[in-house]
Amino acid sequence: MQFQKKRCVAMLLAGGQGSRLMVLTENTAKPAVPFGGKYRIIDFPLSNCVNSKIDTVGILTQYQPLELNEYIGNGQPWGLNSSHGGVQVLPPYAKSKNSEWYKGTANAIYQNIPFIERYHPDNVLILSGDHIYKMDYAAMLRFHEQRDSDCTIAVREVPLKEASRFGIMNTREDGSIYEFEEKPKKPKSTNASMGIYVFKWSVLKAFLEADEADRTSENDFGKNIIPAILNAGHKLYAYRFEGYWKDVGTISSLWEANMDLLGKHPAFDIYGAAGHKIYARNQAMPSSYIAKSAEIRESFVAEGCNIEGCITHSIISTGCTVGKGVEITDSVIMPDVTIENGAIIRSAIIAEGCHIKAGARVGDYIEGEERKISVIGKDKTIDEGTVIDAGAIV
Amino acid sequence: MEAMGIIFSNIYDSSMGELTRERTSASIPFGSRYRQIDFALSNMANSKISNIGIVTKYNYQSLMDHLGNCEEWDLKLGEGVRFLPPYATGHTGAYRGKLEALQTAMPVLGRCDAEYVVLSDTTVLCAINFAAVLEEHIASGCDITVIAKAGRANGKTRQPLAVKLGDDGKIVDLAVDYCAPEDYLVGMSMFIMRRDKLIQVIREMVPHGKYHLERDFILPEYNAGNLKVNVYPFHNVALFNQSVDEYFVNNMKLLDADVRRSLFRSEIPIYTKVRDAVPTLFGYHGQAANCLIADGCHLFGKAENSVIFREVDIEDGAEVRDSIIMQGSKIGAGASIRYCILDKNVTIRPGTKLLGSIDHPLVVDKGDTV
Repeated sequence: MQFQKKRCVAMLLAGGQGSRLMVLTENTAKPAVPFGGKYRIIDFPLSNCVNSKIDTVGILTQYQPLELNEYIGNGQPWGLNSSHGGVQVLPPYAKSKNSEWYKGTANAIYQNIPFIERYHPDNVLILSGDHIYKMDYAAMLRFHEQRDSDCTIAVREVPLKEASRFGIMNTREDGSIYEFEEKPKKPKSTNASMGIYVFKWSVLKAFLEADEADRTSENDFGKNIIPAILNAGHKLYAYRFEGYWKDVGTISSLWEANMDLLGKHPAFDIYGAAGHKIYARNQAMPSSYIAKSAEIRESFVAEGCNIEGCITHSIISTGCTVGKGVEITDSVIMPDVTIENGAIIRSAIIAEGCHIKAGARVGDYIEGEERKISVIGKDKTIDEGTVIDAGAIV
Repeated sequence: MEAMGIIFSNIYDSSMGELTRERTSASIPFGSRYRQIDFALSNMANSKISNIGIVTKYNYQSLMDHLGNCEEWDLKLGEGVRFLPPYATGHTGAYRGKLEALQTAMPVLGRCDAEYVVLSDTTVLCAINFAAVLEEHIASGCDITVIAKAGRANGKTRQPLAVKLGDDGKIVDLAVDYCAPEDYLVGMSMFIMRRDKLIQVIREMVPHGKYHLERDFILPEYNAGNLKVNVYPFHNVALFNQSVDEYFVNNMKLLDADVRRSLFRSEIPIYTKVRDAVPTLFGYHGQAANCLIADGCHLFGKAENSVIFREVDIEDGAEVRDSIIMQGSKIGAGASIRYCILDKNVTIRPGTKLLGSIDHPLVVDKGDTV
């Protein structure tokens, strides 16, 4: 089927197994990991697309696609249930001769060239499914078009001493890129790639096809496609992004990003008027009931909760029950968790559907020492009186 | 068995005071995040009734905004759900009763092929499975089923419809606009009838000046022995919001866990419009005790024994007690309010003190600044 021409189609790379998130991604694709009380990580790039008037999004996934598929559904919560475009989950599909897993980020896009071609887009926006941020892609697209750029890469300033952990873009004064260094030992600049690219589709398509033909390639955007385009003498620009951005690929960064939501002047301001909101699939839950015995400070509480305990500097997600005498500090409680009377939870992430029984203790933090986050995986039960050490992963 | 639904959106508008100045009783906010119609509409959706006519008279703009295209209820406006405004045929548009109002539903009633019709208004709030009621209605062989609640009649308040049942469950007495004694059941303004029968009743009665469903049809026909009435006693929580005072008390009843458990059941949830608000933020000195709080609020002050809707801000040092605060209202720093109903988007200036009484809560109009 052919559709009306699109200015830009977004492709969201959601395929990573997310092994650094350990038990949290045992049965869940990384982008479907809950965040901020009522969201999932994927809500951020998806909402950014909608708020940037990009109405066609392909989601590339191959690990645990079921939950992600169910979550995305017809795309209605994000307004992406359009009849021409909208959102589509694109798992690797069995072709007649050889069915293949996605070999790398570039190969995932290569395998979906037919999907993109249906829309005859001028540009393709490549996004990553494990970043928490709010960004106006439309502004980046304008920047890209005004310079007649072949490839525009979003970058953010990082401290010089950390620059060797990132892909660094070395630019001329006008923002054009003359050199790309993956994790340089001696970084020449501090423009770190955010893994967000806008390509002229005609250029990207040619390079994807060439990359696929090259047996030695790892089929990766950062390692193969970007250097190849640069070496061929095409125009690449760096687009500087100033706002909050966090890669939540590790337990500690996921915990930190959640904590960044708290406070009167939070590090990450998630609030926004219509057109700048973060959208999520909502469950039909009543409002939260806060009992007389409850004490809640510096925390987020989503809907459908029943809270009788004491909560300090934590995120309590949709549908949680927190019993009397419970003490939760510096923790992320994901949806549908039950915490029975007297349990103590400190510096922990409790995944969806867990049941923490009376008097159990999860995690700890001693002022001045290095914080080690304890993690309880999805649907686990922690028995009465059990003690889970700081930093333990269950 | 197939059934269609009819929802009356304007019943009791006149007794709800300021709350219905710019809205129908169907769209009165209730229970921290709902509108009254959410209950009737969700009950129908949960009972697999997707063909629904919403009878409206006036002031239905806010209702249309709220329902949007009905996707939150898994229903479709235009296909399944239809608004039924008054006929523009020189008629003043003022319905005097449900029978007359049903005239606007005639095209919808005539066109559909459902065998039965479930009628409901929006002022009695409960979670009910109409499919079970319909099954019982069919088994009873009666012409009409009246859904009714024990424990509401008190011998003092006039009830639109009251029935007394004998030990065998059969009706001993049926009365309209009656200060029924405590042993009567009170009609929940929910009925089930055959569709062809309902069409026939509307065609025959309305032209003869009979417009009131209970008084002009059910009562005289029952008395004349022409109408077999089945009563379905409803055993779970049903909240009757027929005056501002009742509305206030019923909101506060939601602070009781048993009431919440009965109304909000995961197998038959109550749906409402999605707002995409952020979870509620509690500040360092924020405090809530015995409160129902929706999302999107900023709680820097104190709240106690209150029902708080979405996107409400309670600033530092402010105190809210025994009150209902609707969506988007702001309580300024150091302000103190008790026994109040703040309609949507009310601003209470810093330091202001407002005090209603438990019997007569103070109502602040939508959008006002105090």
